[in-house]
Amino acid sequence: MSIVNRPGVCESYAFPNWLRTLITVGLRWLPAVLIVVAVVGFWEAYVRIFDVQKWLLPAPSVIAKTIGVDAGLLWGHTLATIEEIVVGFALALVCGFALATAIGLSRTIERALYPFIIASQTIPIIVIAPMLLIWVGYGLAPKVIVVALICFFPIVVNMVDGLKSVDSDVVSLMRTLGANRWAIFLKLQVPTSLPYLFSGLRIAIAFSVIGAVIGEWVGSSEGLGYLMIRSKPQFLTERVFAAIVILSALGVSLFAMVGIVERFALPWWHKEHGSRT
Amino acid sequence: MIGRLFCCHENLDFETGNDTMAISQQHNEAMASQSEQFHETRIIDVVGLGKVFDQNGQSLTVMERVNFHAYEGEFVSIIGPSGCGKSTLLNIIAGLDDQTEGSLKLRGEEASDRLGTVGYMQQKDLLLPWRSVLDNAIFGLELQGVSKREARDRASALMEQFGLDGFESEYPSALSGGMRQRVAFLRTVLADQQMFLLDEPFGALDALNRSQIHEWLLGLWERLNKTIVMVTHDVDEAIFLSDRVYVMSARPGTMRLVANVDLPRPRYLEMVTSEGFVELKTELLSAIRRESAS
Ligand SMILES: Nc1ncnc2c1ncn2[C@@H]1O[C@H](COP(=O)(O)OP(=O)(O)O)[C@@H](O)[C@H]1O
Ligand SMILES: [Mg+2]
Repeated sequence: MSIVNRPGVCESYAFPNWLRTLITVGLRWLPAVLIVVAVVGFWEAYVRIFDVQKWLLPAPSVIAKTIGVDAGLLWGHTLATIEEIVVGFALALVCGFALATAIGLSRTIERALYPFIIASQTIPIIVIAPMLLIWVGYGLAPKVIVVALICFFPIVVNMVDGLKSVDSDVVSLMRTLGANRWAIFLKLQVPTSLPYLFSGLRIAIAFSVIGAVIGEWVGSSEGLGYLMIRSKPQFLTERVFAAIVILSALGVSLFAMVGIVERFALPWWHKEHGSRT
Repeated sequence: MIGRLFCCHENLDFETGNDTMAISQQHNEAMASQSEQFHETRIIDVVGLGKVFDQNGQSLTVMERVNFHAYEGEFVSIIGPSGCGKSTLLNIIAGLDDQTEGSLKLRGEEASDRLGTVGYMQQKDLLLPWRSVLDNAIFGLELQGVSKREARDRASALMEQFGLDGFESEYPSALSGGMRQRVAFLRTVLADQQMFLLDEPFGALDALNRSQIHEWLLGLWERLNKTIVMVTHDVDEAIFLSDRVYVMSARPGTMRLVANVDLPRPRYLEMVTSEGFVELKTELLSAIRRESAS
């Protein structure tokens, strides 16, 4: 206590505010940065010391250079992949929300639909994707369907859990205030389920990237997955890795974006539980 | 003596102690004078109420032959050991549950569709974390179909009375236990139902907060002119606030005793140490102790 009260001692050694913020943020991400630096450093050293061929394993520096040189090409394919992800994710969100709502409103619908929703996840996407080409044609549609098929499951399961996790005492309270079934659903169940829904969205958005790549592998003419498939037989391994780096960055950014949307959509949740990202 | 105690005669066959019998003999006479005193209808009238829960094939008798009433504008408390069915009784009066035996009348009528007409504040404050203080307060009005704007206007006008001035846009998580309880109170009061049932409303508050909120609640009750039925563990609280205090027996719960509290109104904190108060408290405590022991 006495140290705090002595004037000058604290202030003279205190950092300016911006620097303090920078240090706090820096310290928080330090472990992640250290891991990346260590892995990249080890990788670079290994490739140089053992003189590994570029087509076998390109050095990080080579991958970085490729990203710079092929920026235009990579950007075009990135946009194509983003389109598939966004449309597929939106489709999954709409269908997932509707399905979860139906299941949340009716036990009969739950018993009728839930087995099929779970079964849908046991379908090997790799097998289904080529069939989709035959069924819906060769365009955006099959990729969007693959993305949506992968994404909707965590959305539905989480939201259904959320709809069911209401406090039965609050239901009683609402009934004594004259609420009907519909009001209980809209004003209690749906708001209660939103934090659960966002947990589902985080998982879904992380899966969506791999969904888009699988969709492209099966048949496409653009997108990062397509670029990888095409570059491998040409021994352009550095381009494959460049695509992987971009896909990872894409995944992390989309994940962060869900977090930001959540922060605005559920301000009360963040005040209560603090930040999760 | 400021309080008159009488046993509920319907339970005589359960009584074995001679002293209780003696008290119960005054019952009919006292009951008669009481009805004259109020000249009012029994807004709640419970006769021979019983409740048996079925739990995986086993039946659990929670209440038996409960007789209970409250007059218009009266403040009635119920004390009883934990698990004796106090909350169950309130649930039945509110319409959340139905009795398995006996009758319940509200304003003299069998009220099978009473759900939504009786204000009920449960033990927990049950505030919704995603609603601001103001929007929690208007929740009841909103469910009754009042427009959000009008509801907010009505709630805003009462914020100060409820000590919530300036906290309108806060989330409940930012509030203290006492404040959260007052928001729940405001929600109940705004819904403006014909009577209020309060289930251990001050359980979460410490003693200091309690005595303050007691005086505040009495002021509110006098202004509102509503019937209040309150369940509590606290004998002081029951006597200080009520016109009458019911003591319930251990499970299967039944009304063992009812005491008239003749303290004048308005009541002040100092009355707690008055001779009459202490005498009544001693009587009630010994009755409760007998119940808890059996
Ligand atoms: N829905 C229910 N099903 C089965 N038993 C119940 C139910 N509700 C309450 N009980 C039982 O009834 C008894 C009385 O409960 P309650 O009315 O909450 O007591 P109190 O409020 O007096 O403490 C308890 O033993 C409790 O376990
Ligand atoms: Mg209780």
